[in-house]
Amino acid sequence: MTWGGFMEAAATGVMWTAFACFFVVAMRNIVALCQLLIAAWVLLTRVQPGEGARDLWDRYADLTLPITVIAPAFNEELSIVQSVKALLALEYPEHEVIVVNDGSKDNTLAELIRSFDMHRTERTQIAPLQKTKILGTYRSRRYPNLLVVDKENGRKADAANAGIGFARTPLVCVIDADSIIEPDGLLRAAEPFMYDDENLIAVGGAIRIANGCTIRGGALQKIGIAKEMVPRFQIVEYLRAFLMNRVANAHTNTLMLISGAFGLFRRSTLVEMGGYRHDTVGEDLELIVRMHRFMRDRGREYRIEFVPDIVCWTEAPVALQGLDNQRARWQQGALETLVRHRGMIGNPRYGRIGLLAMPQIVLEDILGPPAELLGYLVLPAAALLGLLDPMMALAFFFVSVVFGCALSVGTLVLEEQQLRRTPTAADLMRIGVAAVAENFGYRQINLWYRLTGIRRFFRNDTTWAAVPRVGFTNA
Amino acid sequence: MTLYQDIVLGTLLCAVGVSLVFLALVLRRYRAEKRRALRDARDTAITRNYLKRVAGHKLEHRDRWRRRARLRAVSRILPLLRGGERTRLLQIAELDGVLSETIRASYSLYRTQRINSIQLLQRFGSEACIGRLREMMASDRSQRVRLEAAFALGANNALPPPREILRLLNALCRQPTRLDIALLRSAAPLYPEQMLLLLEDELPEAWRVQMIDALGWSESMSVIDTLEEASADPEPEIRCAVMRASARLGHPAAVRWIMMGLVDAAPSVRLQAIAASLQLTLRDAVPAITRLRHDPELWVRLRAEQALEQLEPVDEDRPRLGAVA
Repeated sequence: MTWGGFMEAAATGVMWTAFACFFVVAMRNIVALCQLLIAAWVLLTRVQPGEGARDLWDRYADLTLPITVIAPAFNEELSIVQSVKALLALEYPEHEVIVVNDGSKDNTLAELIRSFDMHRTERTQIAPLQKTKILGTYRSRRYPNLLVVDKENGRKADAANAGIGFARTPLVCVIDADSIIEPDGLLRAAEPFMYDDENLIAVGGAIRIANGCTIRGGALQKIGIAKEMVPRFQIVEYLRAFLMNRVANAHTNTLMLISGAFGLFRRSTLVEMGGYRHDTVGEDLELIVRMHRFMRDRGREYRIEFVPDIVCWTEAPVALQGLDNQRARWQQGALETLVRHRGMIGNPRYGRIGLLAMPQIVLEDILGPPAELLGYLVLPAAALLGLLDPMMALAFFFVSVVFGCALSVGTLVLEEQQLRRTPTAADLMRIGVAAVAENFGYRQINLWYRLTGIRRFFRNDTTWAAVPRVGFTNA
Repeated sequence: MTLYQDIVLGTLLCAVGVSLVFLALVLRRYRAEKRRALRDARDTAITRNYLKRVAGHKLEHRDRWRRRARLRAVSRILPLLRGGERTRLLQIAELDGVLSETIRASYSLYRTQRINSIQLLQRFGSEACIGRLREMMASDRSQRVRLEAAFALGANNALPPPREILRLLNALCRQPTRLDIALLRSAAPLYPEQMLLLLEDELPEAWRVQMIDALGWSESMSVIDTLEEASADPEPEIRCAVMRASARLGHPAAVRWIMMGLVDAAPSVRLQAIAASLQLTLRDAVPAITRLRHDPELWVRLRAEQALEQLEPVDEDRPRLGAVA
């Protein structure tokens, strides 16, 4: 091949790469725009939980399905007592709390035993779903609805499975031990089960960032906004994920993720499916994808719903260090799930899950991050070399960055119009600024973290680094 | 104009439009915060005005207060008042046109607004409100609105007879939900005879089960014969409902079929019988429940263990739960 021929081929390659990047980013935005419009429609026409139904529910409390709240705990000695007290105080007619001490190296178990006056008991495990050994079960003399399961370390999925195995109620709520559940979070999440004709198998709820909020006794006292920009960016991300993405997906019956920080499930379905998988770092996404597959393979009718009300608050990393690991892990988990369930992608046998939801994950998690990051380099370069219309490079910038700003601000509009949980106008403005600013730097850094996740996936890296927490502001 | 120029312009317009809406919302919030003191003072004045009028003071009616503000004040005061004072407040609110505002909203084209108005109508619970709720339950075009109206009527103990409930909510052509069951239970003390008559009809099995369950909430001992008859029904679900209803009713005659339930062939009936024994604190059932600790069904064994713990409490340090495994 001559030098000229090589240059021509290279130019053609650059052009096609640029077009592909543009196409992928534009497609992602079209999907996001559809989701924003669907979410707006759902939230505007949503019926708020009625007092009449609540009143009947209160009067006939035995009709509410009892719930077991499963809180896996690993090295939580500083906060576990407050967290458990808050869980025991949740508003719900009948709920049991199972804390699974996942082989903590600190005094988590001793703190629980001392604070709740616990004694060793022998509770029968109905379904042994965990891979590790159960070391003992403890009951509280003061709180009959508290059970502590002590087991060998085996990560969150294994701990949650152990708890599910001990649960005896029709519903189980799997949370993170450091999640702060809204006092009526269980009631709100369980409400769809009251209208259900036995087809509902899981419900997710909106989760918000607790950084900057005042927490007392494991419960949220006052909503606030973090001083640091990284948590503020994450507030915008969470709003986009929960108020736009999940609301729209739930409306179209294509909800593919219920966050590990709070998920309400029908126990029998979880047990039948064997619980969470232990060999993935994205066990929450994998569970829901497998749930769809499990139900559709058996031809059963089912529904997975989402409650747009905030049910839970969680602490987010305050700096980029810590966020990197979290985001890389999410990306790696998504890829592991996609590869494991690749047979569902584009498969009409799985209906809209195979034809819509799975390709959407491919677009979001496989094609999207590299395409956008590559586009930032290739399009301006190609325009400078005269290979492409400079307007195309500008259009790419608008489609990725300016449109990203519009989507984030649009989600804030939904939040303010519907939930109004941002404390003041000044805070709302601060989040608005973050919604714009996150598209200039933070978004691109996140894409890089996701590429790290892709690299980890190909290296089959299974190391798990905890996200550093700084703790909450105590009143 | 090229396609790329169109994209740039379209994106820009979209971003500017959304940002303007957002800024308008921030401004609205800011103004609301600034006016909070004024609004609080006005709300206090309205509340004070209503409370004085309820107490019998003659005060001039302030037309400058908007109906919506007055509506908020009335709904805030209402849960705090009882009996005659509550009735007087409702009469005053009716005279001020506050209730008519709510009733007008219940005719809205938007389903959400109609449902929001149902919540207010339920809270007021005056005759006019109940009348409107009945109308909505009977004729609203949205099934959800009819259902919400039914819940509101249930909360006010003003439900129509059970046959009407089932007809208006198109119930018999679908499976009962937990809220349907709550509605039937709510109607049971108002119409026990109609419930019994309805049971003589051809009902889908799932609904028959729930009707029998609801009999337990009827507070009428006249249903005990029907429960006795149903306790021998070949359908286990019916027998389960009999156990639940009997436990709720607490009639001494029920002990006989609850004891029979403890040795029933269906595990679900045995489970319900254990629950009924526990609810009625039937110490005579302890030997039968003790035998159920060796039941072939795991759930029955677990429930029996739990029931025994409560019926005959033991020393907590002496472990006994392991026996079921």
